[in-house]
Amino acid sequence: MKFIVELALKNLARYKRRTIITAIAIAVGLMMYIIVDSMLIGAEYESMRNLRWYETSSARILDSGYWENRMQLPLDKNIAQPYRIIEELRDEGFVGTPRTTFSADMILSSEDFGEEGNLPVLITAIDPRTDNDVFRFEDTLIEGRFLRPGEDAVVLGSWFAEDLGAKVGYWVTLVTRGNGGFYEAMDLQVVGIVNCPNPNVNRTLVMMPIDTAGDYLAMDGAATEINILLPDSKDANGYLVEIQSIIDQSDDNLAVYSWEALAKDYLAIAEAKRGGTGVILFLVFIIAAVGISNTMLMAIYERIRELGMMRALGMTDSAIHMAFIIEAGGIGLIGSIFGVIFGAFGNFFLVNYGINFGMIMRDMDMGYRIQSVLKGAWNPSAIIIAFLAGFILSMLVAWIPTRRALKMDIPACLRHQ
Amino acid sequence: MKRIFLIIIILIALIPFALSAITVEEIINRMDAAETFSTSFSRGEILSTDRFGQKTSTFNAWARGADESLIEFTSVAERGQKVLRTKGEIYLFYPDAQELIRLQGAALRQSLLGSDISYEDMTGEKNTLAQYTATIEGQESIGGRFCHIITMVAKSRTVAYPVQKIWVDMETFMVWKAQYSTQNGRLLKEMEVLGTMEVDGRILPSRTAVSDKLKKDSKTIMVLTEMQIDPPLDPSIFSLQNLTW
Repeated sequence: MKFIVELALKNLARYKRRTIITAIAIAVGLMMYIIVDSMLIGAEYESMRNLRWYETSSARILDSGYWENRMQLPLDKNIAQPYRIIEELRDEGFVGTPRTTFSADMILSSEDFGEEGNLPVLITAIDPRTDNDVFRFEDTLIEGRFLRPGEDAVVLGSWFAEDLGAKVGYWVTLVTRGNGGFYEAMDLQVVGIVNCPNPNVNRTLVMMPIDTAGDYLAMDGAATEINILLPDSKDANGYLVEIQSIIDQSDDNLAVYSWEALAKDYLAIAEAKRGGTGVILFLVFIIAAVGISNTMLMAIYERIRELGMMRALGMTDSAIHMAFIIEAGGIGLIGSIFGVIFGAFGNFFLVNYGINFGMIMRDMDMGYRIQSVLKGAWNPSAIIIAFLAGFILSMLVAWIPTRRALKMDIPACLRHQ
Repeated sequence: MKRIFLIIIILIALIPFALSAITVEEIINRMDAAETFSTSFSRGEILSTDRFGQKTSTFNAWARGADESLIEFTSVAERGQKVLRTKGEIYLFYPDAQELIRLQGAALRQSLLGSDISYEDMTGEKNTLAQYTATIEGQESIGGRFCHIITMVAKSRTVAYPVQKIWVDMETFMVWKAQYSTQNGRLLKEMEVLGTMEVDGRILPSRTAVSDKLKKDSKTIMVLTEMQIDPPLDPSIFSLQNLTW
């Protein structure tokens, strides 16, 4: 056995060029697998993070009547005293901020925009003092300034502003229905533009101060929702139960909803995407496997004469078989080691810097909540699978052609071209 | 002789003031009564204009009292679409999809066929005084007709237009013009009667323009080509079964 192992290792060293080329083919295949896996997992991870940071927060308190009619954004199904509940939550260690969401017709004047126009918009009224405790808009401002309490002002998403041709200083008019159903019109100045990493938000974002909105909409201090920041933890349900027990003491009609419940549609799409992701990874794996198989087959077939010589000298078929498989395993091992090293190196760049897909993402909606830079994520299980697959697959693909060659008689092996 | 002539002139000049002795509540009640029939049938068209162009929809409408009405669209693009209004509820029927949709809450605020009229504008009973506090602002002639100018301020937040200014005919109590504003006085919509017709001794609007004052080039004209007052109507017209049949 020692002789067989030594022979296999000597062969590896003797045919350096073949060993290097075959190992590189394996390494490139495995590197591709590791990087594609990292990008897909990173896209999903970052997408869900951007969803929580800019859309849903970790959890949201709503009036249960609001939840049932949430598509119609009913202002009368509201939280009457949001700040009292936020205070109670703070006493228990939770951070919250109130918001009121309503639909409106945005009227654009020719004075600022060059031509008259109107479009339906979704307005998010925020408390500028506390919103950044839960959401992450403070780092996204690219022009102007952020909102101040009580002012007649709006902040727009950069893609939305770009589509409208809006600039800081322009005025827009919002026509909407107040709490109860009365018509209200408000003139608001664009004071800032944010470039939100969540493309769904950046395409449609219109934010205004919640106290200004409250005055216009006759909310009497009420808000339609309280958004809560929860620590990243596996026990999110435990937090939700705790929050529910806190709000039950104030109002029976209020309920807390997890971000998964709020983003149910997105998660359903993400689940479907995961199936597609599996197919992509399988195809990448097949490409890598075909590359490895092809290289190993070539390596075995070009050595059939050598194999005939060994048999003529009296070496047993099983020993030859074993020597070839160990040799293939050696090539697989070298390829796998380099594949993992290259993959990890490429992944380091992906995880820390990412690739900017901004030009593609601007005009197409891929469903992911990623606006420009796509970053990767470390997935140790994929790296281990890639390593083992490169090693085992190399030995498996060497098995069949070697066995076939050993079925040939010795003269046929020696005459093989 | 000169004195008699002067007295006649003064009496003629005082006619409008004599007519205005009527209280604002009476004016509003008679205005509501003039708009309510036990039954009616009308045929007409809606001409909607916005910045993308003009669209015409034709319709037949049946109504009973203040609460029940059925509109069936007959124009090619909307043929067979029906809007049924019963007390507080609106149902839409789309024949192509064989689908019945019940509108309620915020959905009532949607525009009817892209016009400046919302489904909500079609709902509600004609009891203006229950919803608004009215005051007479003066008199003015509109299209040669003497009108009371009345400003109405909503009593609650549940009314769509917080402030309305209406011009009511002193004689027929038909509304010739109306301006709908926000609480702060921002003009939102304007309604103007462009033509009238006489049906069974009543003067009714035959051509009415509604324009959105915040949107440029946005106007809806409703034209009634035929109107019957108090025709015999089968009550089943206003049933859900009839809507989908």
